[in-house]
Amino acid sequence: MRINSKLLGALLALSFGHSSMAMAALNIFACEPEYGALAKELAPGAKIYTATTAMQDPHQVQARPSLIAKMRQADLVACAGADLEIGWLPMLQMKSANAAVREGSDGLFFGADQVEPLDKLASVDRSMGDVHAKGNPHLQFDPERMLRVARAFSDRLKQLDPEAAADYEAAHADFAARWQAATTRWQAQAEPLKGKKVIAYHTTFRYLFNWLGISQEADLEPKPGLPPTSGHLASLVERAKAGDILAIVVASYQDERGARWLSDKTGVPVLILPASVGANDQSQDLFGLYDNVLAQLLGGK
Amino acid sequence: MRFAIAHAGLLTTGVISSAALAADPSLSNPALSLVLDGYYQTAERPMAERAEGFGLGETELAISASIDDMFYGKATAVFEDGEVNLEEAFIQTLALPEGFSVRAGRFMSDIGYLNNQHLHTDSFSDRPVAYRAFLGGHYFDDGVRLDYLAPTELYWSMGLEAFKGESLRAEDETGLREFDELGVLTAFTKLGGDFDESSSWLLGLSYLHNRNGSAGPHQEEAVAEDDHGGHQHNAGYTGENTLSAAFVYKWAPQGNYKYRHLTLSGEYFRVSGIQDAEPDLRDYHQGWYLSGAYQLSPSWSVAARYGELDAVDLEAEQLQKLKETELSLAWHHSHFSTVRLQYTHQQGTHFDALSDDNILTLQYVMSLGAHGAHQF
Repeated sequence: MRINSKLLGALLALSFGHSSMAMAALNIFACEPEYGALAKELAPGAKIYTATTAMQDPHQVQARPSLIAKMRQADLVACAGADLEIGWLPMLQMKSANAAVREGSDGLFFGADQVEPLDKLASVDRSMGDVHAKGNPHLQFDPERMLRVARAFSDRLKQLDPEAAADYEAAHADFAARWQAATTRWQAQAEPLKGKKVIAYHTTFRYLFNWLGISQEADLEPKPGLPPTSGHLASLVERAKAGDILAIVVASYQDERGARWLSDKTGVPVLILPASVGANDQSQDLFGLYDNVLAQLLGGK
Repeated sequence: MRFAIAHAGLLTTGVISSAALAADPSLSNPALSLVLDGYYQTAERPMAERAEGFGLGETELAISASIDDMFYGKATAVFEDGEVNLEEAFIQTLALPEGFSVRAGRFMSDIGYLNNQHLHTDSFSDRPVAYRAFLGGHYFDDGVRLDYLAPTELYWSMGLEAFKGESLRAEDETGLREFDELGVLTAFTKLGGDFDESSSWLLGLSYLHNRNGSAGPHQEEAVAEDDHGGHQHNAGYTGENTLSAAFVYKWAPQGNYKYRHLTLSGEYFRVSGIQDAEPDLRDYHQGWYLSGAYQLSPSWSVAARYGELDAVDLEAEQLQKLKETELSLAWHHSHFSTVRLQYTHQQGTHFDALSDDNILTLQYVMSLGAHGAHQF
């Protein structure tokens, strides 16, 4: 019950120390690593905090105290949206008492609001599993959509910090040029993947497969959000054995045991693809992420 | 206003899936959720609401939404055996500057750790005995709260609350006592952060001042520990001052809560100033618990809890002690459905109400409709 006076002193120092150096650069809170990486490209001078890693399922994040403290100080919160963060973001907003990033504020940016998401549903029922009525929020593997998200994100940066508008514009022009060049290169590289078939854990790579012309023939989850069951996995053996499946694809934050089991039974290789930036050594930025995913898919051919 | 969009979006993933709602959730669609809780148990726990045999726990219907860009509102009705009680009906500010926010109406006090969490999120069928004895299970009341979140790297929040305090009043068998209408004042602070990528912590300290908590000088019959008079949510043991300390530690491999995670928590309460008269025994009650819950896989979780209550029975002028050891095993088909088997071993000293030392409880807790974000 005794209050540690040293701790209290440190806290006071922290709090005063911070307020005196505020407003130097934008303080950006990114829900997922791809938005943290995008912020790094488009707002190089900003203070960027990424709330989750590529090893964490963004559907299931705890509204932990550290995230509330970070959001309290954010000028801009950048997230995937489409209800991906519905289990934690509203609690962070409520607890962080930061009017700049509440719903409807310019300081809240959702990637899924800037583009038309795939797989929007007219009506959903929980018996369908944990599906998103607003469409698939895992936009990070769609180069075309990401380019449009980048444009909107840059515009938002300019709106929030008009004095540095020229810097944001320059950063965007540089990023967009490199991204378009890379997209052309990736498309050429990925040509052999067109028409390939995979089995995957969830719809995490829906945009990647859509872009590359890969078809996801089956899902390791019996229903979205429900863990793979032995019965469901057994039902996939025959399909996997048909000889036309390129790989069993699992994201970095998904359990690979079901995929390994299916692979042992059928000989189809398992690919653990980075769910986002930072999942492996090669995926340290958005460009590296795409390079690594393509290299892995092409290697599994 | 985006709050409303998010909540309405949740709604569309629920059972109310009319095409109009799902196609374009509008700002006027509030989040609507229903929690169903049913059980069978072989005996009763002292001061707990669940009776022996078949029964329903709290059937909870909640509606919430942003009211406009300044206010958020929520109401939670609880259906219990022919009664409907409002457990929450509050508004909260969304846009005060400098980390301040205000909540007013009826809401759960933010003292302690478990108190502001809804019962259906617990790993056990009943709250620890310290909560049942001192806070009537969970303490919600009519009042107002001011919250402040410091702009620090470390999470540091502070709050002050003022409540009517009816449910925490000392027993008044004479019916003559004039209670203070502004009965309860609280102050609390919480600190929290991450140890590393995998683990996080929260510490809380709180103080509750209860102007009506001390038993009057001429009423030594003031305490009734086995009050079965309906679902009053009244505390059986009251005092003028309640101090509490809480800690929470959570761990998940690489911070990924999808498959496995561990929660350790503990709280200590000390209630003093229990009577105005010269104390015959001593002038405080105390209680504590330690709890560990482990999610083994998305479908299974186990939990263990040990708790003690060490109280003064003013009427019988003797010390009372209750020790509870509890184990629970839960099966989760999805995030929205839980079936739990719980074993409780209780040992009481001077507790007349204890009918059995061993209790088995089989319970389900399921939620439909919007499923709001949970607190840490």
